[in-house]
Amino acid sequence: MEDAVWKAVQEQCPDAHQVDLLIALPSFNHASTIGSVLKAILAGLNASFANASILIVNADVGSQDGTPDIVKQTVGALVPVAVIQPLGEGSSASPFALNRLSYSGMPGREEAFKSFFVLTQRLQAKACAVIDANMRSVTAEWMSLLVKPVLESGADYVAPVFRRPRYEGSLTNNLIAPLTRSLYGKRVGCQVGGGYGFSPKMASTLFQKKFLWEGEAARFAIDSWLTTVAVAEGFQVWQARLGAKVQDHKAGAADVATSLVQAVGASYHYMEHYQDVWEKPTGSSAVPEVGKPMETEVEATPIHVERMMKGFRQGLRDLLPIWEVILAPETLAGVLALGLKDDEDFRYPLALWVQTVYDFAVAYHEKVIHREHLLRSLMPLYLGRTSSVVLETRGGGPEMVQHTVEQGCQTFEAMKPYLVDRWRFQ
Amino acid sequence: MSEMWQEAMIAAFREMMNRAVLFLPKLMAMVTFLAVGWLVKLLLMHILKVVRFEVFCERMGLTSALAKGGVKQRMSDLIGRFSFWVVFLFFAFMGVDALDLPATANLMSAILGFLPHVIAAILVGLLGILLANFSGEAVLIAAVNAQIQGARFMANMVRWGIIIFTGAMVLTQLGIAKEIVVAAFSIIFGGIVLAMAIAVGLGGRTIAKEALERRLRREKAGDEFTHI
Repeated sequence: MEDAVWKAVQEQCPDAHQVDLLIALPSFNHASTIGSVLKAILAGLNASFANASILIVNADVGSQDGTPDIVKQTVGALVPVAVIQPLGEGSSASPFALNRLSYSGMPGREEAFKSFFVLTQRLQAKACAVIDANMRSVTAEWMSLLVKPVLESGADYVAPVFRRPRYEGSLTNNLIAPLTRSLYGKRVGCQVGGGYGFSPKMASTLFQKKFLWEGEAARFAIDSWLTTVAVAEGFQVWQARLGAKVQDHKAGAADVATSLVQAVGASYHYMEHYQDVWEKPTGSSAVPEVGKPMETEVEATPIHVERMMKGFRQGLRDLLPIWEVILAPETLAGVLALGLKDDEDFRYPLALWVQTVYDFAVAYHEKVIHREHLLRSLMPLYLGRTSSVVLETRGGGPEMVQHTVEQGCQTFEAMKPYLVDRWRFQ
Repeated sequence: MSEMWQEAMIAAFREMMNRAVLFLPKLMAMVTFLAVGWLVKLLLMHILKVVRFEVFCERMGLTSALAKGGVKQRMSDLIGRFSFWVVFLFFAFMGVDALDLPATANLMSAILGFLPHVIAAILVGLLGILLANFSGEAVLIAAVNAQIQGARFMANMVRWGIIIFTGAMVLTQLGIAKEIVVAAFSIIFGGIVLAMAIAVGLGGRTIAKEALERRLRREKAGDEFTHI
């Protein structure tokens, strides 16, 4: 695959042997947005990196709407541009993978990223920025925010942070980010998609470590595990405040359970690989950030918890035999007690939620049941906790939600010994 | 007269002794086979313990699958007991065959001829139970996450459907009342499908129509925010 990608770039840009910046765009039927994304990128490059040698690479996974043509037309002769097919000519994604897209909604996204890492290495690029082609909110400033920390401050990985309404990214805020923080000791937002910045060191490590790409969790959830792997490998992680995130495909809206399986599955999957790393750290430290400070917004439409509560209660009724196998007896007792509460008085205590997440991690490690079943059976419990957060905070402002999320992170950290003990001695 | 009687007695005794001399090695062979069978069983159980077969069974869901089927013993105990009886019977039949009795002639070859069917039936049964429980669990979780009220009913339908199918395959494999099994299975399976078709066609027509419309139009009762 590496040679095919390199050959394709060489054929289209014979002079591109070494560049300063590699700008990469994974795409799949993004004709409606990729033009404006490229214009913002070009403006950003012109403003901040006018003297740098640049190559724009579009990894297209089989668009039928002329996306690659729009890329070539928009960029024109301003910057060398190459269109590659990460899966190779004439090949296609496995039919079994069609329902297993990353929650970005793009097939072959993992292969596209792999291609970018190969090219960063081969072109000896000093930095690589990946921008999603479906973003409507890309501004010229993004280039500087994602690339400058790598070129000027020694960052290896620049993760995106977006301005969002207070309950947006509930799974990330209540599970993924606190878990990552407690495990690896870095306060990262774990937000996904939009744009990333990579150093050549990070790109080559990601490409060379084959185990990172192995397993179900790794194959379909690259957005989930990039940050996890970056902090676990000890890379210099930065965060770029990119403003609002407006995209064509609303990630996670199609199937929450699949998003949960991919995101939580990736976290649990890499816990097994990085056990030596996460067992040690206690406490956490902030990572550097660039960009203007952002305010959390209040949601435009009120959040109704009835549907989520219904999901939780149905899980309690129907999935109990499965939870009995997964959860520790005291956790199960706590969860069962929640069923007795009325909707308005419903509260899923934070400590119980943390215990739940840790019990699921141990059960995943122990393979007590099929792993996908295990992850999917977490869904009603997650809905229960999310309902509880909304009920607890809906009277307050965005600060109250942030405070609850921070409390969650601290509880995850404080209860880490529970996880370590159970992980080691289960 | 007394000489005749004496000779007859001696001849009978000789005959009996000759027969005993001929039979004794065969008896010894049978006892040896049984002893070897016992030793093989002990060795097998020891190997299962060393390779932590019980833990493997728990991870593969065999223990819980059996528990769901009402079997409370540990998997390694069951395998140990089963292997003992297989080995014991195998060697016992070899021993009986070794006696060379007219009544048991060709017993061993008949049993050996049937053994592949038994092994195949056991494997089919085991795989069927695993598949039934796996599929039942998958359907249950998916239905709960989709907030379908009859989740448990759907899961049980799938599980018992596969178990009935497996049962029919096992009996066919063993050659037990083949025709009756095929006919009974066809009637039950066809009946279930027909009942479902009638239920959906008459009782749930509107619901099915709405569900299909929602699906085709991709209308979903989504949450007001994204989770990732």
